[in-house]
Amino acid sequence: MFTKGINKRIKIILLVIIFLFLIIIIRVFYIQVFDYKKLNNLASNLWNRNLIIGANRGRILTSDNIVVADNTTTVSLVVVPNQIKNKDDVIRDLAKILDVNENKISEHVNKKSSVEIIHPEGRKLSFAIADKINNLNYDGVYLLKEGKRSYPYDTLLSHSIGYVGIDNQGLSGLELKYDKYLTGTNGAIKYYSDAKGNKLNKSSIYVEPTDGLDLYLTINYNIQSAVERELNNAISKYNADGAWAIVMNPQNGEILAISSKPDFSPSNYKNYDIETINRNLAIWSTYEPGSTFKIITLAASIEEKTVDLLKDTFYDGGSVNVEGARIRCWKAGGHGSQTYLEVVQNSCNPGFVSLGNKLGKERLFKYIKEFGFGSKTGIDLNGESNGILFNLDNVGPVELATTSFGQGISVTAIQQITAVSAAINGGFLYKPYIVKRIVEPNTGEIILENSPKLMRNVISKETSQTVRMALETVVAYGTGRNAYIEGYRIGGKTGTAQKVKNGVYMTGNYILSFVGFLPADNPKAVIYVAIDNPKGVVQYGGTVSAPIAKNIMIDVIEELNIKGSDYTLEKTYNWYDTKYAKIPNIIGSNIDDVKKNLKDFTIEYAGNGKIIKEISPSGGTYIPIGSTIKILLGN
Amino acid sequence: MKKIDKVLLYSVIILSLFGLLMIYSSSSIWAEYKFNDPYKYLKSQGIFLFLGYIIMFFISKIDFKIYKKYSNIILMICLGLLILVLIPGIGTIRNGSRSWFGIGPLGIQPSEAAKIGLIIFTSKYLSNNKIKDIKHSILPILIILFLTFALIMLQPDLGTGVIIVMSVISLLFISGVNMSFFIKMGILGLIGIIVLIIIAPYRIARITSFINPWSDPLGSGFQIIQSLYAIGPGGLLGMGIGNSIQKHFYLPEPQTDFIFSIISEELGFAGILIVSLLFITIIYRGIKISLSIEDKFAKYLSFGITFSITFQSILNLMVVIGLIPVTGVTLPFLSYGGSSLIISLLEIGILLNISKKEDL
Repeated sequence: MFTKGINKRIKIILLVIIFLFLIIIIRVFYIQVFDYKKLNNLASNLWNRNLIIGANRGRILTSDNIVVADNTTTVSLVVVPNQIKNKDDVIRDLAKILDVNENKISEHVNKKSSVEIIHPEGRKLSFAIADKINNLNYDGVYLLKEGKRSYPYDTLLSHSIGYVGIDNQGLSGLELKYDKYLTGTNGAIKYYSDAKGNKLNKSSIYVEPTDGLDLYLTINYNIQSAVERELNNAISKYNADGAWAIVMNPQNGEILAISSKPDFSPSNYKNYDIETINRNLAIWSTYEPGSTFKIITLAASIEEKTVDLLKDTFYDGGSVNVEGARIRCWKAGGHGSQTYLEVVQNSCNPGFVSLGNKLGKERLFKYIKEFGFGSKTGIDLNGESNGILFNLDNVGPVELATTSFGQGISVTAIQQITAVSAAINGGFLYKPYIVKRIVEPNTGEIILENSPKLMRNVISKETSQTVRMALETVVAYGTGRNAYIEGYRIGGKTGTAQKVKNGVYMTGNYILSFVGFLPADNPKAVIYVAIDNPKGVVQYGGTVSAPIAKNIMIDVIEELNIKGSDYTLEKTYNWYDTKYAKIPNIIGSNIDDVKKNLKDFTIEYAGNGKIIKEISPSGGTYIPIGSTIKILLGN
Repeated sequence: MKKIDKVLLYSVIILSLFGLLMIYSSSSIWAEYKFNDPYKYLKSQGIFLFLGYIIMFFISKIDFKIYKKYSNIILMICLGLLILVLIPGIGTIRNGSRSWFGIGPLGIQPSEAAKIGLIIFTSKYLSNNKIKDIKHSILPILIILFLTFALIMLQPDLGTGVIIVMSVISLLFISGVNMSFFIKMGILGLIGIIVLIIIAPYRIARITSFINPWSDPLGSGFQIIQSLYAIGPGGLLGMGIGNSIQKHFYLPEPQTDFIFSIISEELGFAGILIVSLLFITIIYRGIKISLSIEDKFAKYLSFGITFSITFQSILNLMVVIGLIPVTGVTLPFLSYGGSSLIISLLEIGILLNISKKEDL
């Protein structure tokens, strides 16, 4: 009886014990199976020490595969304080090699940290120094590979590319905008460490770094170089305050070249003030466009059929009176009686006032907005401005008149070249862009591809064709003659705009611009050039900017392989214009047969015989009439 | 005469030898760091284990009835030692508690001896008296129990104190004391815990840290987190014996209270199942002995011994896996500690001796 009672209670306790053991086993199972991942990760973080291997940043390349932002491999010094055995020796030797105070090194070496980067003294070391450190063979002293950004062409395309900081992080330009694509994933040597920081005798894990993605631009390297060269020349020749230029493919909105001066060297960005770096004038600067804007008024007038360029005439007496305000033509005394085509060629202000009046403010401003003025073009670069238009309610006759010839409004260069592209490409307004595609460097896989983006159709193909014709005559017969290239069909328009400071026009301080395109029958490139406040020169767009644009166009012709045309408009010459003649292709001919074709040149002969073996400059080149050519003769 | 319980004997030998191996595996890093001798803990535990085996062997030969006869003297000696250890100069302080008689690097804990002393005394008392009147028959036990507990808490050593209290209460439970008594005891215990917390507020931190150890990862939650970092990554099969990472200074003194964590890390859930199975076998054999024996003293004694070993194991395991707050209790047969191991083996010796008399 008694024993039975005790045994019953013992069994109860046995059941409780078994129950508790079950709970313990289940709990251990839960920790080791269900919590495994979480705890293993947390514990791994505790156990693992990482020596970071820097990933290369993605490169930036032009459309013709020239690398404009690259990486050079450098090494950085890293110490693992707990693994250093003789701290005094390490401090003394490292300080000596790096040529820094021992206290600085001592700070790092004695830090209670698992992995300590010697920053900045030990960052991006030269190989000579790295070699010396490597030869010391100290425990706990490591040299790690780190990629350093390099810009092989220095200032070329600097505003668009931007620059990176010491940790390879994008700080401006495309480097910033596309940072998440360009930044790679760092690799590491992971090793197990005990709680005191010593390396455990377990195999280390090598995690390979993944390089960043390559950025391919729409930029054409040779055209970009030509633009940089011409703008640099202009800055030094005219001591200009600034200069900017864009070359665009009008058929799709691709930027072929874009430059803004003053520029900067991305590798040494610290030597430049932040305004120079951040202001990409080609998209940031807003100013009165001047006469280049007349292309918009012209296109609107043709589209709305308010004028017949060839039949309608206009008499320019030198000025026009708009509600008591006298608007002068740039030419004293005026241009007299002209067709409207001649109004365009002469860039006659009163003539454009009359075009604006025929349209009326609603229609003119509708086109201005349709052509993209007053709002950002949306180009994939940072720092674009909106520009300023008159509010339509505030537009009176005076505002309508000045807007017609490009005054009283404020626009950016990128807006102008985008609008002109639409005016001459058949009426299609494209969104400009500079990044063509993003590519995985090892597999070549295209991660992102930008395609042309049509914003809207602004004018008809016929209107566009008429605009092209009118602008071609501007270059052949009008104010744009300095951009004329013998043998090619080129259209264009000059612009001379007074700068405004604090709401007042500045005297003798202009932005001189030229916008041109070629070939005029089927445009492949549009070029916009603006020079800010050139000195020591007649401040007209036609005299300063048109020749610069012409030089750029010569490179564009070669680079885009643009063929000359058989039917070009003959340029009309002023007495001061240099005349050009084309050297005929006469190699292999008898000198007596072709002599009459060479009367424009002075000839220097070399060699004996009658057959032309060599000619310099080569056949097909245009050179000023009266220049010397050399001919090598043989039999 | 029946033969001794061989299943129990072998299970204990296997478990304690495995404990020796794991003490080496978990302690060698620390031992090398502290004493420049990776075998330091292995050697001293090996000596104690050898001693323990000899004691177990002799005790298994000694008739258990002798304890009944000398139970009062045994208790007096135990209480005397508990008082002695509190005197500075005689008792030494380790880990904040004056619980040891220090002899060189080795230490002897009188509280371990008090465990078996009190179990013997209670078993004798219960086997001699009919439990009818709580006031007259149980009160003396409770007075002795409270006295012992108070002495141990002066060291202080809460873990051992709780094990002794629970062992005596479990004996009262099986002896047939009314359930209302245990409810009253429970309430009293609760009040006691509250009083203890008020006396030493650091215990609150221990309690909150077990609910969410990550609330104070470098303070009160530190041990539990480090324990979980060992158990979790062990997974199903473990990292292999000797391959624990947590023993590399992450888990402090991994050979003592938290040796189970290192076993989990190195041998995984599979190893834990085997260890648990050994413990359950030992417990089951102990319970079986106490169920089979007719002698009342032997029944109480064998149950008391089995229960105290079981309760201590469960207490340790629940701490290590984060189910209850840290109490500072070692795992019998596995944790490093000479006194604990010798007393445990001595207790097994008594069990083995009783097992021979099962059929009487």
